[in-house]
Amino acid sequence: MDEIERRAFMKGAAIGALAFTVGGAEVMLTPRQARAQGVALRTLTADQAATLDAMGETLVPGAKDAGITHFVDQQISIPPQEALLEARIMNVKPPFANFYRAAFGAIDGASTARYGGRNFAQLAGNEQHEFVDLMRQNKLDGWKGPAAGFVYFLLRSDAVDVVYGTMDGYAHLGVPYQPHIAPTRSW
Amino acid sequence: MANNDKVDVVIVGAGASGSVFAAVLAKAGKKVVLLEAGPDWQLGDLISSDIWGRRIKPAGPPFLLEGKNPYGYVYQAGWGTGGAALHYFANFPRLLPNDFKVKSTYGKGLDWPIDYVDIAPFWDKVADDVGVSGDAKAEEIWRPAGKPYPMPPMRTFPGGDAWKKGFAALGMRLTPAAVGINSTTFKGRPACIYDGWCHVGCPIGALSNPLVTYLAEARQAGAEVRPYATVTRVLTNADGAKATAVEYYAANKQRQVQEASVVVLAAWSAQNPRIMLSSATDKHPNGLANSSGLVGKYLTAHFASGTSALFDEDLQPYMGTIAAQYFSYDLYDKNAHKDKGAFGSTFMVAGAAARYSALGGVANARLDLFGAELAAFMKRAARGYTRLNAFAEEMPVIENRIELASDKDEFGMPLGKITHGFNDEAVALFNANFDKGVEIAKATGAKEAWPNKGPMPTIHLMGGTIMGKTPGDSVTDSFGQTHEIGNLWIAGPGIFPTSGAPNPTYTILALSLRGAEQLAKNWSSVAG
Repeated sequence: MDEIERRAFMKGAAIGALAFTVGGAEVMLTPRQARAQGVALRTLTADQAATLDAMGETLVPGAKDAGITHFVDQQISIPPQEALLEARIMNVKPPFANFYRAAFGAIDGASTARYGGRNFAQLAGNEQHEFVDLMRQNKLDGWKGPAAGFVYFLLRSDAVDVVYGTMDGYAHLGVPYQPHIAPTRSW
Repeated sequence: MANNDKVDVVIVGAGASGSVFAAVLAKAGKKVVLLEAGPDWQLGDLISSDIWGRRIKPAGPPFLLEGKNPYGYVYQAGWGTGGAALHYFANFPRLLPNDFKVKSTYGKGLDWPIDYVDIAPFWDKVADDVGVSGDAKAEEIWRPAGKPYPMPPMRTFPGGDAWKKGFAALGMRLTPAAVGINSTTFKGRPACIYDGWCHVGCPIGALSNPLVTYLAEARQAGAEVRPYATVTRVLTNADGAKATAVEYYAANKQRQVQEASVVVLAAWSAQNPRIMLSSATDKHPNGLANSSGLVGKYLTAHFASGTSALFDEDLQPYMGTIAAQYFSYDLYDKNAHKDKGAFGSTFMVAGAAARYSALGGVANARLDLFGAELAAFMKRAARGYTRLNAFAEEMPVIENRIELASDKDEFGMPLGKITHGFNDEAVALFNANFDKGVEIAKATGAKEAWPNKGPMPTIHLMGGTIMGKTPGDSVTDSFGQTHEIGNLWIAGPGIFPTSGAPNPTYTILALSLRGAEQLAKNWSSVAG
């Protein structure tokens, strides 16, 4: 890894943050902080963000406030070689934004077909749970996009990442993180 | 295009096998250049995080993945110095004598052209080179005697010890796992601190990744590493009898040619055939060293049947290493599950440290759970979870293969296409090992035990440039020298005719050491 790239990488990792753009300047924030500060999304639309917020929270409680949408948005906006997404190691073809767009389209398409024109984010909690349970089993009628079970797997992994894959997540579970080289704050 | 000064040997790939060749040849006084497609990682890059750890794997495969059980490329692959051995688990089991003559003995698969005794001295040498912890004497219940390991076994923790009761109840045996991790200080490298972050790269050097072993030795002896160098072809002379150079694209996307007396392809089982097939000429119309038509053929992958167990007790599952605490060859007989229609060996490992997120994490032990149920499970599993893994082998079949696709990458090189499927005997073995795993788990007294059933995984990658006795039945000899082009060598698991069940890296290192020493010994006749 060359020196300049490594410095940028270490800077982010060392404070558990990613590079977000605020007011035209690049700042290092955790996804939770980026969400709390209302940092503008770079790639996802407002509708896609609403879908991901709702899906993340349905999959893993706490994912919305942990910044799943800012995490995914930042990750699909940078070069794929720098991405930290589970999609990377599950052989999704870059650019990763294409997969996420297709996934959100499939989710809302199947949701509107099943629930009278309502997107996933507009469903009641019990409907969202029912939808996800069918999605994970590839049992949703009208699903058009990447395999529903695979979408479930990857979005669940993203949600698990921001909730449990961090130093805060380990602390929440009551287990020590024990890093050699620490992402010293939230992740 | 830029030409570089001719060197003695150019090695494609700076992972486990390429690093061994580089170390041996550089120490023999040869001028060595390693071309590595990814970054030149430093120990300080290896962040203890499952999220950040994904950076040391490729971003999207240069392969199309097809077949009944498509090969899971990226999770297994390396990208950058150290290759896949930068994020490997460092389990160091050996093959057993019954792995080498499977075709002759059972009429299935292929035979190796060599036997256990031919590799055994090199397993011992590698142990002394890189540092292995374990109890060699205890393993002799399954294998021929060899040298003791240079370090005693690693510490164990309740998450590993919990399995001893289950194995004993079924009359099965466990021994301390042999691992390429320091239980004590070794050659100036520190002892392991058991924090469980091995698989995202060990930055203290307690785990024997190439950055602190053979690649470090190679650099010290003068070998040069060129990162972000993507090799597209091996070039040959006019009559096609000798390799003369490799073509690659540097970080600035400029085309380069590196001439060399010897070319070693050490870019893993998938990329080596892709390069050889892409290097076709009028003298080698089907690709280099491919008159047999076997370049890219006989790929094999391992699969694992994982069994989870949940205890009320605090097992400290976050402690330890990602390698095993214990292992067992008690199901290594190829016919151990014959009554269930299965064929092939099984190698069992118990008590790897638990991580809580990512592909192998606790959250994925119950993929069916989400929402409040997942949150409740995570709380229960945080301190009471442990896992047993049964790795097993498939027999090589010619249909599991790598070919060139019509799509091309940014350098105009055809993408590869990997076609892979498990046969019925492998599927039966996968299922039988779940049954056995749950039987063992229940005998531990665990509160809950369940099989981690999901899509059949593809783990490790062997074959594609198999070794053999003749040019008609193989691509290389047992040292990795191609039958057709004497100064073109293949290093790595691609030369395995069959895979056995154990993790392959220890054997990759041993075979590479054997091959590199042979090349150094016969340098004049090979390099001409």
